[in-house]
Amino acid sequence: MKSADRGILSEHDLKKTSNKIVYGIMVFFILVMVFTMLYPILMTMFNGLKSNTEVNSFPPHFFPQEWHFGNLKDALNYIDLLVFLRNTLYIFVGNMVVTLIVLGLASFSISRMNVPFRKVFYFFFLMTLFIPATSYMIPNFVNLKELGLLNQYAAFWLPAGANTFYFLLLKNFFDGIHPEIFEAARIDGASEPRSFFSIAVPLSIPIFATLAIFIFSTAWNDWFWPSLVMHSEDKYTLATAIYKYVIAVKALNTNIKFAILFLVSLPPILVFLLFQKFIMRGVALSAVKG
Amino acid sequence: MNQTATIREKMTAKLERKPHKQNRWKKNFWGYMFLVPAIIIFVLFMWVPIFKGFMYSFYTVDFVKGNTFAGLDNYARALTDPDVLIAVKNTLYYMVLCLVIGFWVPIAFAIAISELRKFGGFVRVAAYLPFVLPAVVLYGLWRWLYDPVGPINALLGTMGADQIAFLTDSRWSMISLVFMETWQQFGSGMLIYLAAVLSIPRDWYEAAEIDGAGVWARIRHITLPSLRNLIVLMLILQIIATSQGYQSQLALLDGGPNNTTLTYALLIVKYAFTRLDYGTATALGMLMFIVLGGLGIVQFKLNKEDN
Repeated sequence: MKSADRGILSEHDLKKTSNKIVYGIMVFFILVMVFTMLYPILMTMFNGLKSNTEVNSFPPHFFPQEWHFGNLKDALNYIDLLVFLRNTLYIFVGNMVVTLIVLGLASFSISRMNVPFRKVFYFFFLMTLFIPATSYMIPNFVNLKELGLLNQYAAFWLPAGANTFYFLLLKNFFDGIHPEIFEAARIDGASEPRSFFSIAVPLSIPIFATLAIFIFSTAWNDWFWPSLVMHSEDKYTLATAIYKYVIAVKALNTNIKFAILFLVSLPPILVFLLFQKFIMRGVALSAVKG
Repeated sequence: MNQTATIREKMTAKLERKPHKQNRWKKNFWGYMFLVPAIIIFVLFMWVPIFKGFMYSFYTVDFVKGNTFAGLDNYARALTDPDVLIAVKNTLYYMVLCLVIGFWVPIAFAIAISELRKFGGFVRVAAYLPFVLPAVVLYGLWRWLYDPVGPINALLGTMGADQIAFLTDSRWSMISLVFMETWQQFGSGMLIYLAAVLSIPRDWYEAAEIDGAGVWARIRHITLPSLRNLIVLMLILQIIATSQGYQSQLALLDGGPNNTTLTYALLIVKYAFTRLDYGTATALGMLMFIVLGGLGIVQFKLNKEDN
């Protein structure tokens, strides 16, 4: 029983002074790490609530001396964050739908439907993993241009279905569902689309949720690719707009800059804190397969 | 049990192999239909660009006048451009820095955090938190942190050290970027290693301790060997990722100062979107593919062994 409670160190080890010192140093480094992780993030928040002279004062203060909540309002007025937010959500929702339908169906077929030559199809999807993405980034852009998709949401939605990594995650998940369930459904006369939509999909909520988090963070994070694909300003994503109007601009007051940065960090931080168990499991999962 | 199962499998396989032709088509109709959308999308948005990449590297790409065949001109231009050599050197330097500064950090912290008796959950959340920050926030935040009058220089000042121009000093620029990226990314690597560290059976440590192995011996002979495959896999993933890195170099410094953060991928981007020379950019991409293609296969093989 006791062996389950121990780590590399046992209770006995911790009684030795030399080990105690090492353990103390280790805890100290962890504390330093936690501090260096949290300090800049909290600083983003507090800087957004300071007066501009205070943000630029040297050495910097941690807490604001005066709280300027009006900065948040100025931040919302500086650029139309809500429009960019809407664009980002469009991309997220569309990517999600396409991923679920296109990759969901394909991975279900490969995993559970025994089609002839499925190894060939599987390899066809998998092959793209060996090609470094940057090496075909430019032709990819030229291709979108030649297809007439530039400056359209479809330029994000359609290619979302060509993600080998998500395909593998889905396929591995379906591999874990007992095939008997689907055989029983077949015997009961359920058509294949029916057994996909009313059996496989409900069973796959966990993996869809993991994918939703990945797809959300990509849509929220990507600034460079959308800045190439979307060239009219009203179609920028949040990250692209912030890069163009906040990061690349020098004239903006630092406190307003931080207020904007704080506002865009808030949703992903909240999503993370709410679903942390789920996300951290997803991270461990994605690594092994990635 | 097993034998009957395999016999049954063989029998069903036989039955499946020789159904009536029409039946087989009917039976697999939906199976193929389910694959069709994915095949179309993969062809249109993966294979066509990849194939076009190969083709365009021999063309002068012009959206207005149409493309013209250029033979090996693009490759010749790419290989004689002195910037390419600089970019290759910078990329190698960046990759080495990422290994030296960043690679071991998540491993060390995963082992340390696995030993925490309390607050392990809080520490994990704190370590992962920077990873959820959007990249643009990271850039804005660190530009301020690295500022000559920012908090890091304030700290150096109170310790009596000289100020450092982290971003504008060409000796520091790349190092500063790597520190920034390590800060953001180590949490996710740490969680992956932590899962592996925690899956090592505790009894092994117990047995080793009874046999008289000290703490370091346990780490060296049990923990690290158990992580070996994962470490190799993460190493290859990191090399694949860092060899293609360009975004923070572009966002914070645009390759400067004096081209010290001009990486190979950034040069591709610049050829395409600053010089509008898509042909040479694709040729550079092809050269990258030739060098990196092998690594992807190694990663895939390792992954398979792991599973």
